[in-house]
Amino acid sequence: MKVFYFLGVFAVLMLAASFFEMPWSRTTEDSAEQELIVLKSTAMGAMAMFSILFAIAATALLIPKDLEDRTLYTILSKPVPRLDYLIGKLAGVLILVTVSLLLMNGLLSIILHFKTEELLLVEMAKAEAHGWSAEHLELRLSAVAQQGVTWTLQAGIGAILFKAMVMASLALLISTFSSSTLFTIVIAVVIYFMGHFTEDARNYWLHSQSGGVSKEVKLMTQGIALIFPDFQLYNIIDSTIEGKKVPQGIFTRLAILTLFYSGIYSVLAWFTFRKKEF
Amino acid sequence: MEDIPAVQINHLVKEFPSPFRKTKIRAVDDVSLTIMPGEVYGLIGPNGSGKSTTMKALLGLLRPTAGSCYVFGKNSLKTDSRQEIGFLPENPYFYKHLSGEETLRFYAKLCGMRGKALNNHVDKMLEMVSLQDARKRRVGGYSKGMLQRIGLAQALIHEPRLIILDEPTAGVDPVGSREIRDLIVQLKDKGVTVFLCSHLLEQVQEVCDHVGIIFNGKIVKAGPLEDLIAIEDQTEILIKDAGPRTLARIKAVIADSENADFISMGKPRTTLERLFLDEAKKSNATTMTADQKGGDRA
Repeated sequence: MKVFYFLGVFAVLMLAASFFEMPWSRTTEDSAEQELIVLKSTAMGAMAMFSILFAIAATALLIPKDLEDRTLYTILSKPVPRLDYLIGKLAGVLILVTVSLLLMNGLLSIILHFKTEELLLVEMAKAEAHGWSAEHLELRLSAVAQQGVTWTLQAGIGAILFKAMVMASLALLISTFSSSTLFTIVIAVVIYFMGHFTEDARNYWLHSQSGGVSKEVKLMTQGIALIFPDFQLYNIIDSTIEGKKVPQGIFTRLAILTLFYSGIYSVLAWFTFRKKEF
Repeated sequence: MEDIPAVQINHLVKEFPSPFRKTKIRAVDDVSLTIMPGEVYGLIGPNGSGKSTTMKALLGLLRPTAGSCYVFGKNSLKTDSRQEIGFLPENPYFYKHLSGEETLRFYAKLCGMRGKALNNHVDKMLEMVSLQDARKRRVGGYSKGMLQRIGLAQALIHEPRLIILDEPTAGVDPVGSREIRDLIVQLKDKGVTVFLCSHLLEQVQEVCDHVGIIFNGKIVKAGPLEDLIAIEDQTEILIKDAGPRTLARIKAVIADSENADFISMGKPRTTLERLFLDEAKKSNATTMTADQKGGDRA
């Protein structure tokens, strides 16, 4: 239930952000878009932070807590395959993250919708006052509407969920061999940050090899890239905040990649957990 | 009676790696035991003697270093062997946010139960452990005795043929302890095999018909309880309302006999536990009568 306290904090944050006006507010031409971007950026930043923190911390606690309370003994002494136990636990965390993100998304969409409507009216008033041409007004209205509730925005929130899915499965994998919750959380957070530099590091290393790289080395770097997920691929979140369109193909590829990472980590988690002794 | 043993442990050895040492710690050392269906077997020993390790190996929670464990002929490392097992760990805790009823529903679903059968079993188990009144209360607010009883109910939810109890009355007050023992006796009457680990010897003596004594990971003595505790060369006679003259004559008869020796004579004693339970019963009855009188006056 404590998870939902965060949703209360999020709601307050959202309301505060919707009333917040930038210092340059309504002085430059694109100020309406900027206001909406600030609103989306605050909301999606909070959503991303919540989902990642929750995915790591909650997953890291799952097995140690069950073990400490001996609930694990009562569950595994039933005819429950260990894979089912792991998948069930992971699914529980992911369902909770998904429901929380849906609620936050709902709140963001409602506030964003009303804010966009308000700003569209402001733009129309501006057009009347300054005598804008019909084309110019159309252009402005379309620019403002693009920063409102769109499918692109939903794709960005989808990417936040995907990132949380990858981190939850990674934390689950670490917790199957880790001896403490703190270790799991620290390692997961380190991998999370490393994941944002994986691509840069790989490119830099591959280009610094003057004589070119052998096939084996390439395979090795690809293997390392598998262990450390490449979170730069999830940068569509920033684009969606700015209202840029995300092609469906990229979103689908991201979804497949997420399933692949989560699948690999879950299989590895099962591999270590299936013979673990309690 | 079935021919397949409910529990078959063959030369079980379990070693744990010791940090900073090359040698391993041997928690269980060549333990073999067989429990036939319907028996109540008590494994007794001091703390750290290997009782819980043996149980965990039987539940597949630990992999034997050597030897093997079978439950109704199925290897205990296989998940399907657990279809026949109900387990109550020592000092169990359950998900605190769930009520007693939800806890049982959760465990029933883990055993593959659904629909009407699930509801019936949950009701039956709650009634059996006398927790109908607390079924909607969160488990987080349960007393130690109630936790133990809901633990027993979850262990029995899928009607297993073997029930494994690790220190089932640890930390429970004498009344709660008696209720749990009564439940074990009920299970025995229903033909359920019970494998019980405890270091409370009196408790084991009351409910078990077979006993194994484990020390430092080795079974040092095992067999039917009556055979193990009987003192073969002594005879006990209990006489009611015997006067001093009768007793003197009995003593004289024994003294006249060629082989028999008189050892002692005295009044048999009740146990402290029985005394406590009798007093608790009387006290409850007095309180109820006083309440009734108060109610009548009002």
